[in-house]
Amino acid sequence: EALLGRGTSAAAVAIGGNVATVATSSPGVAAVAAVPPGKGESRGDCGVGSSSWQEPRKAGSPVSSPSSKITHSGDVSIGGAVVVEDQPDVSAVLSAYNQQGDPTLYEEYYSGLKHFIECSLDCHRAELSQLFYPLFVHMYLELVYNQHESEAKSFFERFHGDQECYYQDDLRVLSSLTKKEHMKGNETMLDFRTSKFVLRISRDSYQLLKRHLQEKQNNQIWNIVQEHLYIDIFDGMPRSKQQIDAMVGSLAGEAKREANKAKVFFGLLKEPEFDVPLDDEDEEGENEEGKPKKKKPKKDNVGSKSKKQDPNAPPQNRIPLPELKDSDKLDKVMNMKEAARRVRLGPECLPSICFYTFLNAYQGLTAVDITDDSSMIVGGFADSTVRVWSVTPKKLRSVKTAADLSLIDKESDDVLERIMDEKTASELKILYGHSGPVYGTSFSPDRNYLLSCSEDGTVRLWSLQTFTCLVGYKGHNYPVWDTQFSPYGYYFVSGGHDRVARLWATDHYQPLRIFAGHLADVTCTRFHPNSNYIATGSADRTIRLWDVLNGNCVRIFTGHKGPIHSLAFSPNGRFLATGATDGRVLLWDIGHGLMVGELKGHTDTIYALRFSRDGEILASGSMDNTVRLWDAVKAFEDLETDDFTTATGHINLPENSQDLLLGTYMTKSTPVVHLHFTRRNLLLAAGAYSSQ
Amino acid sequence: MEATKMASPKSAPKDAQVMAQILKDMGITEYEPRVINQMLEFAYRYVTTILEDAKIYSSHAKKSSVDADDVRLAIQCRTDQSFTSPPPRDFLLDIARQKNQTPLPLIKPYSGPRLPPDRYCLTAPNYRLKSLQKKVSSTAGRITVPRLSVGAVSSRPSTPTLGTPSAQTVSVSAKVGAPVSLAGQRFTVQIPSSQPAGKSATPTTPTVQNVLINPSLIGPKNILITTNMVPPGAADPNPLKRKHEDDDDYDAL
Repeated sequence: EALLGRGTSAAAVAIGGNVATVATSSPGVAAVAAVPPGKGESRGDCGVGSSSWQEPRKAGSPVSSPSSKITHSGDVSIGGAVVVEDQPDVSAVLSAYNQQGDPTLYEEYYSGLKHFIECSLDCHRAELSQLFYPLFVHMYLELVYNQHESEAKSFFERFHGDQECYYQDDLRVLSSLTKKEHMKGNETMLDFRTSKFVLRISRDSYQLLKRHLQEKQNNQIWNIVQEHLYIDIFDGMPRSKQQIDAMVGSLAGEAKREANKAKVFFGLLKEPEFDVPLDDEDEEGENEEGKPKKKKPKKDNVGSKSKKQDPNAPPQNRIPLPELKDSDKLDKVMNMKEAARRVRLGPECLPSICFYTFLNAYQGLTAVDITDDSSMIVGGFADSTVRVWSVTPKKLRSVKTAADLSLIDKESDDVLERIMDEKTASELKILYGHSGPVYGTSFSPDRNYLLSCSEDGTVRLWSLQTFTCLVGYKGHNYPVWDTQFSPYGYYFVSGGHDRVARLWATDHYQPLRIFAGHLADVTCTRFHPNSNYIATGSADRTIRLWDVLNGNCVRIFTGHKGPIHSLAFSPNGRFLATGATDGRVLLWDIGHGLMVGELKGHTDTIYALRFSRDGEILASGSMDNTVRLWDAVKAFEDLETDDFTTATGHINLPENSQDLLLGTYMTKSTPVVHLHFTRRNLLLAAGAYSSQ
Repeated sequence: MEATKMASPKSAPKDAQVMAQILKDMGITEYEPRVINQMLEFAYRYVTTILEDAKIYSSHAKKSSVDADDVRLAIQCRTDQSFTSPPPRDFLLDIARQKNQTPLPLIKPYSGPRLPPDRYCLTAPNYRLKSLQKKVSSTAGRITVPRLSVGAVSSRPSTPTLGTPSAQTVSVSAKVGAPVSLAGQRFTVQIPSSQPAGKSATPTTPTVQNVLINPSLIGPKNILITTNMVPPGAADPNPLKRKHEDDDDYDAL
């Protein structure tokens, strides 16, 4: 299928041993001429970061024949955008593919490169060693895809032991892919094959590599490198192995610097001004005369009573948000009163932890959520039920039946109490409806609705006033791993096995936004406190930040070595903490797009992360049956994020996990699944007891 | 997942040992012992299905024996049918781009609970009351509605189970989740007058003696009563007419 008429900015085609690179710097070129083989300059740089990848457009649907899929191996996907390759004669490319290096010689190429890298200078070796893994995987997959089974097998046997330990899981999956048919169903591997692995290498190391590979006898491997790798060059000191190890690990390599360049409005939205009525009993020690009514600046964003707009905050109407109802206003007033009583946490004053253990769950507890005011707790279970408990002595009541409703006096003052049915009040309500294990639950901020998402592919909205199911949102046709309401209600996000996250509104039966770009399942989805951005963690070991307004991916964070299972935004909106199966908590600066901290200590998957109400403490809960508290203030202060470091894309991470760890609290045998700070900074934790 | 004790090699059959080895090769070290049984069962069922399909294909192609092509075809068909994989990436990027182009819709203020249109919600009643017993009521206005006991847990979707024909009251088991309130719901009560056979859309429902509607239960305009006041011995009323009533039922709901 002709790819004319689509805009492209840069393309690289490897044909017959020569590299023909066409780069157009003008965005949105209307027509692209097919590049005949053999022509075109050999630019030598495989997609240097300074070339303009502006407004690349997606090509038309791929051609059906499998060999032409090879031509897409040069495609790059960054947050939804794909660069189109020039596609000359299909037959020329077909023959070109086979000539891209004799499959029987792949082992020679790889060992030659290995020898060169191992003999290079120490300072460069760490960076150049990054090439081993992607090249190994790509070459192996090429051999398998082109049905050179025996060569693939011996290639794998010989070199799989050289790879880094954190790639072992991937290698195990790879070892089971021995035939082309095996690859067909595995979308993740197919995507990996057709995308370019991103490496970040300093200019000096890159020059060294290029000089070596451009020697005549290394031409083949140079082609392979150019075909499958994207080398993002930065000017600066070569990175040490430690630095590299902190940031690699994802299926697509690291993130290009451009991927993290877009402006992100990480500030918080202005809270509406209130007149807070002061109760005498709340204000002990106040003077007798009435104070002028003014809002107490409890949260730090509220401190700015000035009219100036925070430059980092999004405009109020950037995305439509529901208006505040009277009940919401009352809730906010309550919130502020509680905030006045809040305990100030810090290294000297650690929170008390109250643990809610689910008994007799028989390893079926799969999701937990607690309301913001800590009045209700919900558990999603593997038997497809959703159970809601009341945490306070006040029982759960549902609205009366119509028969009884017609009998009450509608004019009485306590009509809101009278509509509730006392006869069926109970501490526990069970909600039936899903047909598969419930993997995610989320209360709405106004406590009227509950969301639950399940392996059956639906997200269900339940009413907490009638305790019945209102809507089933169908869109993911595969298990949905996580869902969350927006902090302002009305919107919610869900992420699932189909590798996309979807933004929904409660009154639309179809999603409003689809966030596509991850290479593997989306396992965790969270809203930013200002509701303008969504963070998604995925099994491809990256975290992406998406803009709700237009669906663009504005940040890609790599560094975890396993699927991400927990995300937490700091209350001021500037930082993101993430936890994965590798037991590390990574801290990210959203504005600059950098990793700013690494907290080591847990020994198993981290399923729960939460910042305290004012952001002083980060609590993490893990499958290793512990809750750990980290000093967030210290972790984020004194960051060297000046222009120079942001240009390189990484900063030096201090090895201060031990200093930041404030406490480790062990449970007997209960993995921690959920953490929640009450409005007064008491830490609640939840998990299911596993008799082990 | 509990750690498993290795089954002693003497007692485990060869297949189980092979399966345990496969699990070990794939890096799964902790699993309940029943996982091996499950995996073996799955493997057996899958292979049997494939081979049966392959036999069908090869006999369709009038071949004397099953060969590799038949098996390949069988595998491919089953994969497309049972083991679907999520859509490919370029397709997802494409639909994402289309979906993300439309601006976010504005939110109407003061619109109560924000839910999709009713046909996309699960708030409609999923039962319909039908009484089939012919009983000429003495007065036209006196009809009994069965007393509903909603809230009973039942897994059968929409078959109302009515009591015995002689019972005065009827309990309907509705899918849990149906709202309890009947206010605002329209439902039709049909009182066919002839023999019950072949009458209603749900021929399995036994009949009810009489139907009384409590007017306070339902709004004055919400009930559509079709009473065929045909004397007992009469032949079937006009089937077309009933069909029209049936249509009314669906329209009303």
